[in-house]
Amino acid sequence: MTTKKVEVQQAVMAADLSYAQKIKDRLKEKGILMVNLIGSPGSGKTTLLEKTLGKDGLRAAVIEGDVATDRDAKRIEATGVPSIQINTDGGCHLEANWVDSTIDKLPLDELDIIFVENVGNLVCPAEFDIGEDHKVAISSVPEGPDKPLKYPLLFTEASAVVLTKTDLLPYVPFDLDLYWGDVGKMNPKAKRLDMSCAKGEGLEEWSRILRSWLEEKRNG
Amino acid sequence: MSLVSAILESLEKMVDENGWSSVKSVTLRVGAMRQVIPDVMKFAFEVSVKGTPMEGAELAIISVPIKFSCRGCGAHWGEEELGYLCPSCGGMEVDMEQGMELELESLEVQER
Repeated sequence: MTTKKVEVQQAVMAADLSYAQKIKDRLKEKGILMVNLIGSPGSGKTTLLEKTLGKDGLRAAVIEGDVATDRDAKRIEATGVPSIQINTDGGCHLEANWVDSTIDKLPLDELDIIFVENVGNLVCPAEFDIGEDHKVAISSVPEGPDKPLKYPLLFTEASAVVLTKTDLLPYVPFDLDLYWGDVGKMNPKAKRLDMSCAKGEGLEEWSRILRSWLEEKRNG
Repeated sequence: MSLVSAILESLEKMVDENGWSSVKSVTLRVGAMRQVIPDVMKFAFEVSVKGTPMEGAELAIISVPIKFSCRGCGAHWGEEELGYLCPSCGGMEVDMEQGMELELESLEVQER
């Protein structure tokens, strides 16, 4: 028995990336857009989906990631779009290999867009490429304006940043200039969106963003 | 924890392919953007390797600071100014040069 030192120089996420690439190829061939919604528990991801699905003419499906329960999936089912639940059994994010084995169960020939509602968490879901076209960072007014600086990876990777529950601005101390100022410095290219699902504000702009992404994907 | 699982998966594959009997130490390069707290990662590693060829292995973490550069004016900056907006010229054509690393750098292994 001998001990030896081995130089490795190997990226750790290689396996994950190969699944992600497989998903990207598949969805490109079908012309389907995949959008990965990432935010804290309670930030409003499911509500945003409820307000989006079936209302803008896009044919959608949802992959629901949750640590446990199918409560969110039931809410999505009620909108009438196909949805599939992945329970991570304690895992804090979705991984590409799970998504890969899930998308085949969706009616891919009848879809424009697949939403992935990731596990509620600002850290791990940002680390893992699941073959999506766009990550969307969702944070809400009650969480406070410091989320972008505290969780920089998500906010620098996101193609769009959505601030939800803006109807609470009169009741909760929240510095909008600070929040959007930080987002602007960290990720000047991201689309920025104030939203109140309760009041229906920001939803049209959200729809426009989704449509422009779909168009880019199909033309690109 | 999820990063630790990914690391273990890579290590197990290497152990399998090379026929090593055990791993004594692991050196990892981790970018600051990865949001890793070294002590937490070491603890998660220690707990997760029980019953694997990596049991008892020491995990060393080399932290790689975040560094951006601007394609427009060539400026470099890092941790103190986080982001994709050049603090010198305001340009948006910016690259992250380092900070996203998650790489196995070297191992000490026991051969059969």
